[in-house]
Amino acid sequence: MTRLVEVPAQFDDRSFDQFASAFAEAAKDGERLLFDAHAAEWASPYGLVGLLAAGQAARGTGGRGGGSAERPLLTAPTHADVLTYWTRAGFFREAAELFEIHGKVPRVKAAEESDVLLPVTPVRAAEDVHAVVSNIQQRASAILASELGLDPKATMGFAMALSEACQNIVEHAGTGGWVAVQAYHWRRRLAKRVVVIAVADAGVGFRHSLEPTQSKRFGTRWGDAAALEAALIQGVSRFRDPGRGQGLAGIRRYLARWDGKIAIRSGTARIAIVPKWDDDVPLKDGLPAFPGAQVLIIIPEQGSTKP
Amino acid sequence: MIQHIDVHAVLQESVSGVYTDLVTRPTGRVVRECIERAMATDAGDGAIARIDFTRVGCIDYSCADEIVAKLLRSRPGVLVLMGISDGHREAIEPVLAGHRLAVLIERPDGTLEAVGAPDAAAALLEGLVTRRLAARTPGGTLTLA
Repeated sequence: MTRLVEVPAQFDDRSFDQFASAFAEAAKDGERLLFDAHAAEWASPYGLVGLLAAGQAARGTGGRGGGSAERPLLTAPTHADVLTYWTRAGFFREAAELFEIHGKVPRVKAAEESDVLLPVTPVRAAEDVHAVVSNIQQRASAILASELGLDPKATMGFAMALSEACQNIVEHAGTGGWVAVQAYHWRRRLAKRVVVIAVADAGVGFRHSLEPTQSKRFGTRWGDAAALEAALIQGVSRFRDPGRGQGLAGIRRYLARWDGKIAIRSGTARIAIVPKWDDDVPLKDGLPAFPGAQVLIIIPEQGSTKP
Repeated sequence: MIQHIDVHAVLQESVSGVYTDLVTRPTGRVVRECIERAMATDAGDGAIARIDFTRVGCIDYSCADEIVAKLLRSRPGVLVLMGISDGHREAIEPVLAGHRLAVLIERPDGTLEAVGAPDAAAALLEGLVTRRLAARTPGGTLTLA
């Protein structure tokens, strides 16, 4: 039997819990999954890399014995513009390995000259992080300075933040993941242009990664929310080396300077550093379980950012 | 004799002939180990080593920690960083402050500045003068002696 997982029509960080809930419900008995995106109208970079992470997890857990060779199914969006955008964003290039795709996927190259600053890109090893950082700098420089009004010097900080976000996959996930970077006009929530970094994997997640070194300290409070709090707020790492844990702290510093936002979802919790212009909540627990970690970083156009 | 180490060249030789960025811990570790080997085999007196970051693109926090902080902790002599851009400083300063360490940066005009934890930075400059490794210019700034 095949279980259906509906992809929200507007698929972004806000609708991700709805998707995670459907995924958790469908995946619990180990049947083959069908991700239904035929009615998708829009997906943010977070939605796209999150969908890939779901495909990765479904491949790992599918089949009653676990670890099925049978790929999950994916019905592609039927709307031509949506389909073209997902293709330009590099989604189908990665999805082809994970899903058995149903629907006509256009033969469009992943974007090289557009608001897609970095198409969906796999991150499996340090070498991939080098490639990501190298590719992003020239293109991000123009967008950050001319369109977002950031000081040109901010470009290097942006590359650092991107590098550290990607390294979380390499160092902690225990599996590969994906990153995507895009600039767009965020009419609905901010009426400004933003640059968004989305990183997702279906690996072990923050709680599992930090458990050996942190669980005793938190006692009965230990769980996904406590692990995220330890990593993002307290800057702890699973490594005992005192220099570890710098990455997320560095991202926070960068975002504080540019009024940006970071949100990390892992397991059943989500933590966010919420700027004044956003109405997100700092910490949510008891969410539908979703494997690995999903990171969202938003840097808004500079100038007045009305809450 | 002051030892000179070209980090860009080390990166190109040891990790990648393509990339110019110091990102990821594995890269930082390999580059640091190469620098340590170069320092160990150098014929200089070992008192001062100039680490040149010219032509290095981005440095992330992981590499700042893996290279600069760990070299400072492991090396008894004085490290002087040169070719440091504002972007490089953005990664290096907070990492050193977190470790309560400081390092010398040599500006293009040859004057020295200590960055990192304020207490460690002050002690570093004071120690340089005491050991006569640096001298004060008429303008009051420090340069290597």
